[in-house]
Amino acid sequence: MLIFSFFKTLTDQVITVELKNDLSITGTLKSVDQFLNIRLDGISVEDPERHPHMMAVRNCFIRGSVVRYVRMAAKNVDTTLLEDATRREIKDAKK
Amino acid sequence: MEGYVDHLVQVILQDGRIIVGKLKGYDIRTNLILADCVEREYSMEQGVEMVPLGLYMIKGDNVAIVAEVDEAKDATINYSEIRAEPLAEIHH
Amino acid sequence: MDHAAAAQISEPLDLVKLALGERVFIKLRGDRTLTGTLHAYDAHMNLVMSQVEESVHIVDVTDAGQPLPPRVERRNVEMLFVRGDSVILISPAQQ
Repeated sequence: MLIFSFFKTLTDQVITVELKNDLSITGTLKSVDQFLNIRLDGISVEDPERHPHMMAVRNCFIRGSVVRYVRMAAKNVDTTLLEDATRREIKDAKK
Repeated sequence: MEGYVDHLVQVILQDGRIIVGKLKGYDIRTNLILADCVEREYSMEQGVEMVPLGLYMIKGDNVAIVAEVDEAKDATINYSEIRAEPLAEIHH
Repeated sequence: MDHAAAAQISEPLDLVKLALGERVFIKLRGDRTLTGTLHAYDAHMNLVMSQVEESVHIVDVTDAGQPLPPRVERRNVEMLFVRGDSVILISPAQQ
């Protein structure tokens, strides 16, 4: 739940999703679901010369299970809030 | 993925294969039904090869990406001229 | 271990809790390691980290099939989500 909520706070921000096949896709986060599947708009790939495969597409749905990393701007993230939320989630899970 | 139904989509599978077809349905596990599928085979030796496959049901576990094809843009691309390595497979 | 400490650390993820806000070392699948500041985690070991240095350990092979000496590619990311299924281990970073 915690990470799902975290991604929801990033809605409409530009993020880069790096997949487990080394493909990196940058775009605006439009939505995320409980599986951390990601919808991106206005996408571009990191190395279009090597990866022309995404030339004709502008938005995509990425299955959460194929994600290795998501990179984002530090200014979009309140780290203190995140740490507090993480502690709270652990405490609630133990009740 | 609701907005993709009845649209042309490009599905990238876990093994790196690319299948383009019209999305007719999907479920929560990303199982897909694709009509009039064409596999697009990229290679360095020749242009993109288009292999017609027909109606497919793809099991969600094999899906990596579903992308909406901009059909107007797609029509302007001369795929017989494009040379690229196939996409790598997903390594878990 | 005294009673207070035993109560505090009763399962593996409790050790990760103590690392919140601290520098950590992460080993990932695919010969990758990360060091960074940990801000969030969940039961899947999904992580959110900042000021991350990623190292990818690569062994190139010659055309004749001979392995070359290993090399390391490094990269810095200011804010990073790491999907838990790639995580092998988490450790407090040794300075």
